[in-house]
Amino acid sequence: MQYINNIRQYGLLIVFGIICLIISLITPQFLTISNLTIIVTQVSINALLAFGVTFVIITGGIDLSLGSIVAVSGVTSAMLAHPDSYPVLIPIIMGLLAGLLMGAFNGFIITKSKIAPFIVTLGTMTIGRGLALILSDGRPVSNLSDSFNYLGSGTVLGIPVLILIFILVFVLCSIILNKTILGRYIYAIGGNEQAARASGINIDRVKLSVYSISGLLAGLAGILLASRITTGQPNAGAGFELDAIAAVVIGGTSTAGGRGTMAGTLIGVLLIGVINNGLDLLNVTSYYQQVVMGIIIIGAVVLDSLNQKSTS
Amino acid sequence: MKYSYLILITLITLFAGCNQSTDSEKNKANKIVIGISMLSMQNEFIVNINDEMLKKAQELGAELIIVDAEHSSLKQIEQIESFIAQKVDVIILNPCEYEASSPAVAKALAANIPIVNVNSATKIAPTAFVGSNDLESGKIAMKFIAEQLGGKGNIVMIQGLNGQAAQIQREEGAKEILKEYPGLKLIAQQTAEWDRSKSMDLMQNWIQSYGIKINAVFAHNDEMGLGAVKALQDAGMKDKVIVVSIDAIADALRAVKKGDLDATVFQDAKRQGAGAIETAVKIAKGQKVEKELMIPFQLVTKATIKAYLK
Repeated sequence: MQYINNIRQYGLLIVFGIICLIISLITPQFLTISNLTIIVTQVSINALLAFGVTFVIITGGIDLSLGSIVAVSGVTSAMLAHPDSYPVLIPIIMGLLAGLLMGAFNGFIITKSKIAPFIVTLGTMTIGRGLALILSDGRPVSNLSDSFNYLGSGTVLGIPVLILIFILVFVLCSIILNKTILGRYIYAIGGNEQAARASGINIDRVKLSVYSISGLLAGLAGILLASRITTGQPNAGAGFELDAIAAVVIGGTSTAGGRGTMAGTLIGVLLIGVINNGLDLLNVTSYYQQVVMGIIIIGAVVLDSLNQKSTS
Repeated sequence: MKYSYLILITLITLFAGCNQSTDSEKNKANKIVIGISMLSMQNEFIVNINDEMLKKAQELGAELIIVDAEHSSLKQIEQIESFIAQKVDVIILNPCEYEASSPAVAKALAANIPIVNVNSATKIAPTAFVGSNDLESGKIAMKFIAEQLGGKGNIVMIQGLNGQAAQIQREEGAKEILKEYPGLKLIAQQTAEWDRSKSMDLMQNWIQSYGIKINAVFAHNDEMGLGAVKALQDAGMKDKVIVVSIDAIADALRAVKKGDLDATVFQDAKRQGAGAIETAVKIAKGQKVEKELMIPFQLVTKATIKAYLK
């Protein structure tokens, strides 16, 4: 199993490398430290969402509420982050809590009602958007403190805070998925839920955990987005869930569940970022950008599945 | 399952019944009832127009039924149909789209209910129009850039969602001015879908590819203008690049005051909202109104900012 996964990522890495090579041959600005830093900063918010939803997708579920959770947590934290109001830890904690609660709500309804995650999280998506608008009265929440804004644009030892958080979250998620019992249960449920249940795994608790993690990370993403653009926007994050799911799928995680890795998702996220950046550098018209992006998503998955057939 | 349908149908009939009874109450009170369909209540500017309408309606004693079309012209048409069924006195339409919202206007006119367009136009002319011409805002913004640059330099343009009336007209207006200044070059244009973080990403990427060649940025709305300002500040380039955007939202006014944003173009939500209600009430009372009430755009710079800050 591990062996096959390694081969699959190898194939994806080659695709990633070829695309980077092509872009850097056409435009010399691509392969510079400053541009690479910008790419990683730009993908970090999508990365947090993608890491979270990777857990969910491996259990065979889906989370469509990510973008709305980003908006709720962004607005919540921004409302508490005005200068001279609260210490910066308060908006951060409340933003995370908002995300965690919405994720736990997803998990609770999915496990108790046995309704498909697609439908439950579609509902939460709409509820969340409404909540964000109610909280903010339909207006962007601006005038945030410098210490709050530091999260999204500050640096530590020359490295942007966003990138540090991105790396930290990646390491933590990889450990959870590969080295813990929870990680093993997540694969087991996605592989065969009946068998997992028969072997005594508490399915409900695992599912509640994965949706909570997904919500928590979306909450973190919302805080960082608000900090980066120095406002909490009630309509922020619309469609983010699709970018995140695209990255996960490009990264080789099966939407049927049971198969996937954090490293794959990481490459998927970077691939999307590199393509977006490259097309902007080349000043490709936005109409074509969308078509190119779609072709690359499908292409990556097709290559990946061919690769998988040849190894199995 | 069958039972739930039955319950649903009963509920709908009940609600429909409720509606009718409130309708007749309204007629008894002889208050002017105005049905209003708004483009999107997720848009700050539209929310501002909405607030001004409510204020004006209270002043004039009109009753408003306000619904949100959520950017869907199909939904908007359905809303107008329901206003017609409710027999409101006047309809105010804040159109989602130029072409696709036109059937809504046609339906109201066919039902002999006067309809007032606010903020943007439709292909079929309504009873009256209250708003501004977006072409003008693009011209004002680009004219300011041209003057600041002395008619010579490189410009990048950050566009709204492609295909929307505001995006098309702001681009056209800007390009009309560009034609008058052969020394100005539009070196790149791209959409950031009205979104601040997308605009910031785009500007970062452009800074990588064009760097100090960029002399000015024209963004189709303030959200994107502020995103570009942030990217330029992070790159330490803001002093050398002029950024101009449109709408004059509160955040943008603050940025103009601080000198971060060089200029924004003020679209008068207050006069648009209040004007629409006044026009609608006049029509309902059978008074004469102007067919087109044009509210002019105004350029807001650091020199003129005082008049716009509340």
